[in-house]
Amino acid sequence: MTKWAIVADLGRCVGCQTCTAACKHANDTAPGVQWRKVLDFETGTFPDVHRAFMPVGCMHCDQPSCRDVCPSTATRKREDGIVTIDYDICIGCAYCAVACPYQARYRVDVQNAAYGGHPMLHEAKREHWDRRGVAQKCSLCVEIVDAGLARGLVPGVDLEATPACVGACISGALQMGDLDDPDSTVSQALRAKRHFRMHEGLGNGPNIYYLYDAKTDEPQAPEPPLVAEPVGLAAVSPKHQANWDWRAAANFIAGGSGTALYGTVIAAGLAGPVLWPGAFAALVLVAAGLLCIWTEIGRPERILNTFRNPWTSWMTREAMAALAFFGLGGLGWLFGSIPLGVLGALGGLGFLYCQGRILAAAKGIPAWREPAVVALIVATGLTEGLGLYAVLALVAGAGGAGWLAPVLAALAGLRYAAWHRYRAALGRSGAPTAALKALDAPQTGLTAPVQGVIAVLALAALLLPAGQGAVLAVAGLGAVATGWLFKLRLITRAGFTQGYAIGRMPARGSGTSGAGIQPGWSRG
Amino acid sequence: MGAEPRPVVESVSSYCYQCVAGPDLMKVDIVDGIPVQIRPNGEAAAIHPAHGKVCVKAFGLIQKTNNPNRVQTPMIRTNPKKGRDEDPGFRPASWDEALALICGKLGEVRAKGLIDESGFPRVAASFGGGGTSTVYMGTFPAFLSAWGPVDMSFGSGQGVKCYHSEHLYGEFWHRAFTVCPDTPLVELVLSFGANTEASGGVCGVRRHADARERGARRIQIEPHLSVTGACSADWVPIRPKTDPAFMFALVHYLLHEVARDKLDIPFLKARSASPYLVAPNGYFLRDPETGKPLIWDLSSNSAVPFDTEGTDPALDGAFTVSGREIGPDDEAWDHDGVQCRTAFQVLVEHIEPYSPDWAARICDVPAETIRGVARDYLHHAHVGETIEVDGVELPFRPVAITMGKTVSNGWGGYECAWARTVMAVLIGGLEVPGGTLGTTVRLNRPADNRWSSVIPGPDGFMNYPMNPTRKGEFHEASGSRHAHSTLVPLAANTPWSQALGPTHLAWMAQRHGFENLPAPTRPDVWFVYRTNPVISFWDTGAVSEAIANFPFTVSFAYTLDETNHMADVLLPECTDLEGLQLIRIGGSKYIEQFWENQGFALRDPAAAPMGEARDFTWISTQLAKGAGILEAYNKAINKGAAGVRLFGENYDHSLDPETEHGVEEIWDHICRAASGELTDGADALGLDYYREHGFRTEPFPKLRWYLYPAMVENGLRFEMPYQERLLRIGKELGNRLHEMGITWWDRQLREYEALPHFQDLQALWEHAIETEYDVKIDEFPFWLLTARSMQYSWGSNVGIQMIHEVAANVAGHGGVVMNPETAARLGLAEGERVEIASPVASTTGAVILRHGIRPDTLLMIGQFDHWKTPFADKLGTPSMNSLTPMSLELTDATGSGADLVRVAVRKANGKHGGVKR
Repeated sequence: MTKWAIVADLGRCVGCQTCTAACKHANDTAPGVQWRKVLDFETGTFPDVHRAFMPVGCMHCDQPSCRDVCPSTATRKREDGIVTIDYDICIGCAYCAVACPYQARYRVDVQNAAYGGHPMLHEAKREHWDRRGVAQKCSLCVEIVDAGLARGLVPGVDLEATPACVGACISGALQMGDLDDPDSTVSQALRAKRHFRMHEGLGNGPNIYYLYDAKTDEPQAPEPPLVAEPVGLAAVSPKHQANWDWRAAANFIAGGSGTALYGTVIAAGLAGPVLWPGAFAALVLVAAGLLCIWTEIGRPERILNTFRNPWTSWMTREAMAALAFFGLGGLGWLFGSIPLGVLGALGGLGFLYCQGRILAAAKGIPAWREPAVVALIVATGLTEGLGLYAVLALVAGAGGAGWLAPVLAALAGLRYAAWHRYRAALGRSGAPTAALKALDAPQTGLTAPVQGVIAVLALAALLLPAGQGAVLAVAGLGAVATGWLFKLRLITRAGFTQGYAIGRMPARGSGTSGAGIQPGWSRG
Repeated sequence: MGAEPRPVVESVSSYCYQCVAGPDLMKVDIVDGIPVQIRPNGEAAAIHPAHGKVCVKAFGLIQKTNNPNRVQTPMIRTNPKKGRDEDPGFRPASWDEALALICGKLGEVRAKGLIDESGFPRVAASFGGGGTSTVYMGTFPAFLSAWGPVDMSFGSGQGVKCYHSEHLYGEFWHRAFTVCPDTPLVELVLSFGANTEASGGVCGVRRHADARERGARRIQIEPHLSVTGACSADWVPIRPKTDPAFMFALVHYLLHEVARDKLDIPFLKARSASPYLVAPNGYFLRDPETGKPLIWDLSSNSAVPFDTEGTDPALDGAFTVSGREIGPDDEAWDHDGVQCRTAFQVLVEHIEPYSPDWAARICDVPAETIRGVARDYLHHAHVGETIEVDGVELPFRPVAITMGKTVSNGWGGYECAWARTVMAVLIGGLEVPGGTLGTTVRLNRPADNRWSSVIPGPDGFMNYPMNPTRKGEFHEASGSRHAHSTLVPLAANTPWSQALGPTHLAWMAQRHGFENLPAPTRPDVWFVYRTNPVISFWDTGAVSEAIANFPFTVSFAYTLDETNHMADVLLPECTDLEGLQLIRIGGSKYIEQFWENQGFALRDPAAAPMGEARDFTWISTQLAKGAGILEAYNKAINKGAAGVRLFGENYDHSLDPETEHGVEEIWDHICRAASGELTDGADALGLDYYREHGFRTEPFPKLRWYLYPAMVENGLRFEMPYQERLLRIGKELGNRLHEMGITWWDRQLREYEALPHFQDLQALWEHAIETEYDVKIDEFPFWLLTARSMQYSWGSNVGIQMIHEVAANVAGHGGVVMNPETAARLGLAEGERVEIASPVASTTGAVILRHGIRPDTLLMIGQFDHWKTPFADKLGTPSMNSLTPMSLELTDATGSGADLVRVAVRKANGKHGGVKR
């Protein structure tokens, strides 16, 4: 077997960006897109300061989280380890981009034009229309590798079979070769020097290895210390993801609230009159959310490719749940059928659960990938759905507090518990400091006092002689508003990327290696 | 994702020589006639020290070629008023019209005479990039040669942005216009601000990476942690411009803190002037009969001429001797039984006060750190060991000291260059394997061969083509507007000398002239190519004003820029990938460019010229024809003005001097001559061969990396440590200048010391700024420095989007680098825009916080503050050039200054405000 890998010798790397530029040439990437680039790290405080350079890009992981989340199966992993993207089926949802903890993926929707206006001659000549609106990343120059292999050349040894970055590296820091071949340059290098991999703990099994010291008797590199407020390291600190904007948030908002509203309508209908207009509103709401997300994807005409990966992608599963929800739930509404409504509601609940799992699988965004987010998304969805029901019930004159008040109060409490559990778990695992700040801001709205007020309001409605519905509706609106605000914030304010980390600062010549750094991270 | 590689229709060979550390040999891939990709030339891997790799700058050439902002037709100015705020009103013109206009002016000049009323050439030219323009300007050097006197004194950065003291003193002492460790063998490098990983090119980067792999140690001594500091084992954050103190302390350690026999005594006795006896007035005591300096022979206990066979020269001590001492202007003293110390003894006593403890206070570096560095240096020197190179046994001394910009230019440059060379001499590490090497000569002849330039001179030293200081020979006029051969003996008077004179004096003279020098005049015609002095010089406002007054400026223009904004004619020339040229490669050249091969490489056009751009050789030919000097131009090409002499003993590929030749025809002849030179006339392979193969080389013996064998063969000594010749020349220079009534160069005359004394350079700078600008220095509390960037340096590529994009990955680009402690004290945050003001001007930029900089120091990487160059004018990136004064008081004896100024920082209002004076 063959397993291609890159070895970057941090002791040799000078941060010159020749690999960055060579990659841009070989792959005609757009202005601002760097499949390969070299980061500039600094540790310590004056005068005890160390600086090092670290090439990054797609790690062609053993367990690529980008592949698992991809709904279209555009992202695949070859037998030789190269993670590829089929531009012809990718829908451009950018789910892979938020699932990559190495920030290696890009999506570009417009033609290359470095100076704006018309593309330059070479840009027009090598325009890659197939790459517009879809995911792109380092391909390990797979065309060069394959063509070289076909000619009997050895990638990593023969320049014409070697990825452009490695072939261009002026310091000899970058090497590429077969990990399964014990005699390959990379295998030998890994035996000769101490090394680490970035974000090892995430379990992706990245295939860029960083050499940092020839002294093999040193202890294994420990996890780099988190530095909450790194000075001068903005370029390597977590940044807010730029792939999913308010439209994605709208899908989580409308999808969660809508499916839960539908379920609430049907559940209430099992014991009393069915608020069918509410079911219709729920269907419209979920559809509106999906419409929003549809406008965000790069290749909307390929939307049906969303259904291609039910095996591992929660986005595909969400789409399938949506089919069940709209199909059965829509028929239920159309025919006023409780049984179909029940089935539709179950589809909706599945949709809601998938939404939670979608976020949890977004491994590149620490605030999303925390497993407790699933329960939180489900809990807030249910709470929002019930809250909306309370409002609609008032509008439709459907009755007083009854069962609604205690259930709403209970759900508000449950949601708070889920939030508390989520936030505590995130604090324990650590997250980008900016993400924690965003979540802890008052606007997040899931705190005990706010949810307490909602619960008290709901329960107070039981004690009121009149106007119970109105008070419940107010409580319901509160439940909806705080849930929506939270999700909007989670997606558009707390969605900071993993950022980068350097496991060890390299030894330079006869110097010694030093502690690494994970900038922009904290716990608590 | 396709399974097949993209179709590449064609691939041509070319080179990148955008910086002095080139050339890098590369391939350019072309699709349908359009260059689309740069790749390393794998075929060059076997003959190139960096395995045929090309640096990041080369990858900018595709965008550079296809840049929509290029000037695409000749342009003629319509607005006679010039200045930053004047719209030039350029209108497109035909080549015929533009050439007729220029040749008309040239005709007027020839009619008036090539020299003006002040004795200056009426035609001036400025080229950028440390000489790299030559490898892009085709046969233009032949045009200049055919024209006659041309003033090259209007600098574009020479003297202010180069390693000036290293150039002049290095070339004087060991044919080292540029100085480099023998990186392939070195074990320890003490780098005083040498930014090798940014400016050493691919050869430097690769070799130093290999050195680290071997376990070599580099200690980076500089106020900020550069990329080179990052790649070093240790960083010593020295106070700005205090390097001489650190280096003196290193010398002190070797002379006063270790046993004498730890030094390389045989080297000191045989290959240096250490044993020469110094007479009471500071000049060597000489044999009255022969005039030869005397040494004290321990075996015969007598004073004998230095070249007496079978002696055992004394190093330490003072001896009672008789002889003749010869001072300046042949003043002589006959001594009878006077006490004379050896030059080494004088050195020992001279350096005694400069201990590590003394230096520690000045440099803000612990004395023990300095001692540790010195200890390491001695430890790794391997004194006494030898190594075989090409079958010859040579000393092996794998330690070296390197120096960066600002350390090796301006005041203090002499002290540093001297101390560095003394350190090498003390352990016998000068010009030997592993040690401190020169890699190129520029002022001595022949300039392409260091060994051949080892010509015996006076007193057992190498000859040096000093500008004469003796009465009757002295140049009262230099034929250049900066008076290089009048003021700077070391600058010599060869074709390179004008570029190595005090180039800022030429600009300063345009404003106020200098007393008792010829009245400053403006050049009638000024050619500018591949340089932008309005950005790259100091006090850019003053330079801009001077240029605006030039009556007729011809710019070979790539895009509009700040300098050609004041031009009268813009001529679009084929850029790097469009032009045709053959250049020399390999051998031993700038910085780390010492190869094991030498030969020639072709720059084969990869694209048709954009718009009306023309090959530089075509332009040169047309200018020569239009100016009526075609025959002289062709003859100049034949004589080698375009890089290769067209005839040799066994071959002659000369052009017919009387006819006009096409571009390919000219270069075909040159290619044939190159083949003839490589094969001694055995073959005459021309342009087609180089087009097919890209380059052609022959082996260059590694032994020739080292000057030591040539010194031994000629029985010569390095002129170290005692500078008797400089002392005498300095006195004579003073006499001559005073006879002319020139006293404003007296401060510079103080540099001519036999052994340099320490001077407080920080105080010197502070005093100069206070007195020249009538300010309190405390109002400008920070030292502002600059650093080179591999992505930008020398490249004229600030308008290239991709270069900007990738450079942004390297911290420090795009703003002013500041220590977080300083920022906190000033209430500044990362990214905040600030105004940085010196007494000269102010500019604005974004704060970049890094711990790797001294709290008293600020840093601005590269040269920016553009206001006209497309793309760059939107960057809002500050540059220290606008803020740095052109100051006579801050000009050293070699005519250089340093990138150093004191500044204040405060929050800025609004966005990039540009430069304000």
